[in-house]
Amino acid sequence: MKSKLLWMAWGVGTFALAGVGLARIYVTGDRTDLLPGQTAGVHHQIELACETCHTSKPFAGQKKIRKDINKTCVNCHKDELNASDDSHPIKKFKPPRMSAYWDDIDARFCTSCHSEHRPEITSAGLVTQPGDFCVACHSEGDQDVRVNRESHKDLGFETCATAGCHNFHDNRALYEDFLLKHADQPWLQEDPTHSIEAAAREKPRPETADIETYLAEVSAPATARDQEVEAHWAGSAHALADVSCASCHAPKAETEEEVEAQWIEHPEEKVCATCHKDEAKTFALGRHGMRRHPEVSNPRPAKRMLKRLGWSDPSDGAIAFLEAYLVDPTPAPLMSTAEARVPLLPEAHGEELTCSTCHDPHEQDLQFAAVGACLSCHADEHSQNFTQSPHFALWQGELAGDLPPGSGVTCATCHMPKTEKRGVITTNHNQNDTLRPNEKMIRPTCLECHSLEFAIDALADPELVNSNFSGQPNRHIESIDWALKRVTEPTEGANQ
Amino acid sequence: MGNKIGKIKASILGAALMGTTATSAMADGMEYETVADLLHLVMSSDRTVYTRMVVNRLANEEGVITASEHFVDDKALVLPAQMFRFGAEMVAENTDEFSYSLLSLWPINKQNAPTTPMEEEGLQYINDNPGENFYGVEELGGEEYFTAVYADVAVAPACYTCHNEHKDSPRTDFEGGDVMGGVVIRIPVN
Repeated sequence: MKSKLLWMAWGVGTFALAGVGLARIYVTGDRTDLLPGQTAGVHHQIELACETCHTSKPFAGQKKIRKDINKTCVNCHKDELNASDDSHPIKKFKPPRMSAYWDDIDARFCTSCHSEHRPEITSAGLVTQPGDFCVACHSEGDQDVRVNRESHKDLGFETCATAGCHNFHDNRALYEDFLLKHADQPWLQEDPTHSIEAAAREKPRPETADIETYLAEVSAPATARDQEVEAHWAGSAHALADVSCASCHAPKAETEEEVEAQWIEHPEEKVCATCHKDEAKTFALGRHGMRRHPEVSNPRPAKRMLKRLGWSDPSDGAIAFLEAYLVDPTPAPLMSTAEARVPLLPEAHGEELTCSTCHDPHEQDLQFAAVGACLSCHADEHSQNFTQSPHFALWQGELAGDLPPGSGVTCATCHMPKTEKRGVITTNHNQNDTLRPNEKMIRPTCLECHSLEFAIDALADPELVNSNFSGQPNRHIESIDWALKRVTEPTEGANQ
Repeated sequence: MGNKIGKIKASILGAALMGTTATSAMADGMEYETVADLLHLVMSSDRTVYTRMVVNRLANEEGVITASEHFVDDKALVLPAQMFRFGAEMVAENTDEFSYSLLSLWPINKQNAPTTPMEEEGLQYINDNPGENFYGVEELGGEEYFTAVYADVAVAPACYTCHNEHKDSPRTDFEGGDVMGGVVIRIPVN
């Protein structure tokens, strides 16, 4: 009898546990315990919003799952892949003539090289292939680089993508004709200024007389008035652009009474995004703001999930039961420094990242937004060495008026480069866009002041990167030399 | 060659090619060879129009803009061969119902060399038999494909001069009228 009861208890317990597990997978509930392995890089910010990446229906085939994951990768990474003029786009590998390559590395699927939840084999750039992965396709037949390039005959395949010469996706600053075009240039140009930065920094600020006018016209509830805040605002580009107090604090108000009635003490970020659309979009593509990306999945409501599983009219009791015991945790809408996996200063812990973390909403403080804000959190060697670097000294020189606009190099110059299109200057707020790999920084930033050769060498020297470029590179990447040799000495490798 | 095999009921291809007459073509079915020939006709016509009416007119006759391999950096026109490849890549992004590519036994870019025995055979055939097309069936990645190869002939001096002078070209003696490569069209047989 006792044995029978134990068997029954075991059966009920097993059934209940399996039920809870399946319910968490297919209905709702916290899935932290079900993660198959730690996510790499920044994906940890959205790892509990599983449907952001996993959209296939239950029991879908492997090929379908991999195709679906391709789509979700592209949801967030499409812009950078397009901008990179991708050297190995999926579309190149889809035609059946490429089937011989599918057995080695199937480049039709992102997950062939970027397999998440596998920290034990994940290297920089979320790559889960061995470091010599190029060998799979470029070591035989017409694609054998050792035959096609005399200079490459003794090189190891582990050096292709790690030595500053080639990247799988983005080779905009590394392709042969680009190397030739930028060969034989001095390491520092005669006029080392960043043209778009210069244009941005030369933008007019309100004149003293204008400031007086703006201050006289301030319209805000008496309880919200603050002389310091108003003085900051009147001296900013916002005042110059006719962005008044009410524009942000009572955006729908048209009369003074309505401003008073609708006044919002602390407007949300979406107020900023109504004008700064590109900045908001790129912010959601970077580490600081990716939780705001519109494609990050929302928590799963029990009722909708039950309907999706075929229960067309679930009872209120069943929904209430599920919501009482199994509810998807609501992910924090903002990234907090407490969750960061990069070295941060102790005093930065607990900070959330919003527009106003780096930009005071009233004061236009370029020094803080472009340098101070970054250094108030980031504690890695590269960041902390910035204030001892030549780039910082140039920035100080520019601020003091000793150097022309665009001479100074800030954190933002390199990590949040500006672009200009039809007279409109936009700052890329995806602070990671010029990294992964860092050669992406060469064209928008380094080449404004330096030669390509110097930039390639400097970015390939980890010690120099750590010192924040205080000194000259101790490495030399021979790619430009080899490219020149091919055209000046055709017997060295050109096919003719 | 000219293997006649099966009928294709690919409505997408029929509709794309035949416009309003697609219904009858789809209802009757269409031979793979005919579909491939028609696809090639569209491709070669579009490419010729782009070459003559855009590149040749603006770059050679009026000299208002150049055409360049690095068209973004050089703020130039896309080369006709690149336009053709971009079209092929866009098709590959959107469908598995057919694929096409511009290949050569003497490619400037090695990725445009033949990768299958039938591509090699087809490119050699059109080179040895001027005016003829090549048709065959091959198995790739576990699936069977109808493969057609059409000669790509040097029609303008710009084509063969560039190929003869390019630092990566393995052949430097092309002349007008030479077969420089071939267009390969594949349709899955199912």
